[in-house]
Amino acid sequence: MAPSQNPNGGLTRRTAITTIGGIGLAGLAGCMGSDGDGLSGDVAASGSNTVAPITQVAAEDFEAEYSGVAVAVEPEGTGAGFQEFCQANSDFQSASREITDEEIDLCGENDVDYTHYTVGQDTLAVGVNEDNDWCEEITLDELEEIWQFESDVEQWSDVRDDWPDEDIALHGRDSASGTFDYFTEHINGEMGNIRDDYSATSQTDEIWDAVADNEYALGWGGVGHLRSLQEQDGTLRAVEVESDTDGEFYPPEEEYIEGGEYSPLARPLFFYFNHASLEEDPDLIGSFARFYINNQHGFAEEVGFYRATDDDVVENHDQLDSVLEEIGEDPDELTVERQDP
Amino acid sequence: MSTKREELFADVDLSQEKLLNRLFHGLLAAASLFGLVMLALLLLDVLWESSQALLTFDIDIGQFLTGTSSSRAEQAGFGASILASIWLMVLTAVLAFFIAVGCAIYLVEYAPRNRVTRLIEANLANLAGVPSIVYGLLVLALIVNDAGLGSVILAGAIALALLIVPIIIVASIESIRAVPSSVRDGSYAMGATKWQTIRKVVLPQAMPGILTGTILALARAIGETAPLIMVGTLLHATRYPMGPLSDFSAMPTQIYNWTYQADRMFNGLAALGIVVLLVALIALYVLAGYLRRRYETEGGTISNV
Repeated sequence: MAPSQNPNGGLTRRTAITTIGGIGLAGLAGCMGSDGDGLSGDVAASGSNTVAPITQVAAEDFEAEYSGVAVAVEPEGTGAGFQEFCQANSDFQSASREITDEEIDLCGENDVDYTHYTVGQDTLAVGVNEDNDWCEEITLDELEEIWQFESDVEQWSDVRDDWPDEDIALHGRDSASGTFDYFTEHINGEMGNIRDDYSATSQTDEIWDAVADNEYALGWGGVGHLRSLQEQDGTLRAVEVESDTDGEFYPPEEEYIEGGEYSPLARPLFFYFNHASLEEDPDLIGSFARFYINNQHGFAEEVGFYRATDDDVVENHDQLDSVLEEIGEDPDELTVERQDP
Repeated sequence: MSTKREELFADVDLSQEKLLNRLFHGLLAAASLFGLVMLALLLLDVLWESSQALLTFDIDIGQFLTGTSSSRAEQAGFGASILASIWLMVLTAVLAFFIAVGCAIYLVEYAPRNRVTRLIEANLANLAGVPSIVYGLLVLALIVNDAGLGSVILAGAIALALLIVPIIIVASIESIRAVPSSVRDGSYAMGATKWQTIRKVVLPQAMPGILTGTILALARAIGETAPLIMVGTLLHATRYPMGPLSDFSAMPTQIYNWTYQADRMFNGLAALGIVVLLVALIALYVLAGYLRRRYETEGGTISNV
């Protein structure tokens, strides 16, 4: 017969909870940070999961320099991030596109003033397998023909007659991403206008892995991921794409991206910041923004993107300084000093 | 006799029926093996990926387990995320346990047997089936934004607690019901009040089952990604979470964020992270199994959870 009392039950529960709690506390011991070099406080950054890695590098280097500062970078996506930003829930907002009219209205409703800064360029590559010896270059019309809604391109030969009679395996990003918005708008003329029978994924790596595995595949996605896979001996390469500036064909390489010829598949990346946050703690927010701008070329390149122009940097600095003056702060008083390129 | 039977049924051909029998048998066996094979494939894939990661990249295991994450893959560690998950589990357990057990005691011992009670009990099963992201959205709207708590560990723990409360309630109800009524009657016969009976007789007997249910529910919560992403987590857990009000990225969300970084070394780190998460998961299952077995032999019946 079962004993009517079983003290072990209660004991076990208490022991378990105390033990787990103890481990947690032990983990915390010795982690208390200290500051002493001027800047301190918390900065909240929301926004694009494309741009977040750039902001994250900036945040880590800034924290390394000023140990009292904690920057929290949360990558909820550009759209979701603007919902936070325009309700004044974040100080900084990373964005892979400019703010939309609806988001401007939302910011207006909540009296959120902001300015935006160009921090780098993301580049979409059109990639094929290394064994593909026919598709060296592609025109914008051909890309549209392949990718447009209800496209009848099934085989490579449907694009150009001298290309092989083999089915094209198409890979690209899914509709949740800003990358998708950008590609469909600039290739197919309208955001979201795309054939519905391609392999859509939220992971750029999957696109390039698939292209590297299939001689007859064609994909588009971030060039940083493509280069990274090439370094790991991935058997794929980027196709030269027709430029909408001069009609020539250019590969997605530094020279042509920063020179502006690799267009329209290079897009600017931004951060925004809330002027109210700047007013609240001008030195902290202003210094972080200036630190970011000072080093933006290096940050962008470190995580696989391309730099904006030097003019962009000067423009960013000028804009930041004028915002500081607007709220009655002396731009020369910030802890971080302005460094022009 | 057997010759007679052979004579009688010589013209009946059973081979087709026997073949069908065997085929059906094989089909059922294959169906039951399917899950196991898939699990084995998954485990092999994880082990393969993580061993490849260790061979390809220069990863220091000690630093990986204790360090904080970073946008530089060479410096990235999993420690801050492990600690965040521990915080989450402790807070979730505390939040969910008392609410769930209180609810279970009420439903079994106090609630009148009427339509309302039956409706509540039926809905518990439904609640347990609600997609986890829904709880994340709820917490995002009510706690993170409206209450202004922000994207902190406590908010994540509330989402996870909401997720597992129905599971713990169902397990607790079964455990409490499994306590024989003769034991309760014995307690009443000795002059004990209802509360004394519940506290000193029913709960101690039901506790192993309740605990097992709680731990299994926590094992589900520890791997949940969607509600935490909704609540808001860091891209990289660059700091050890100092308390319930810290920003965080728990194990599953950190793994998720690692998988889409351009630097391939992050994919290797994610594979190792999955191994750590699996180990934590297995540890919880082992603990639950141990508790169940231990009290099954000692205390007689406890119900299944």
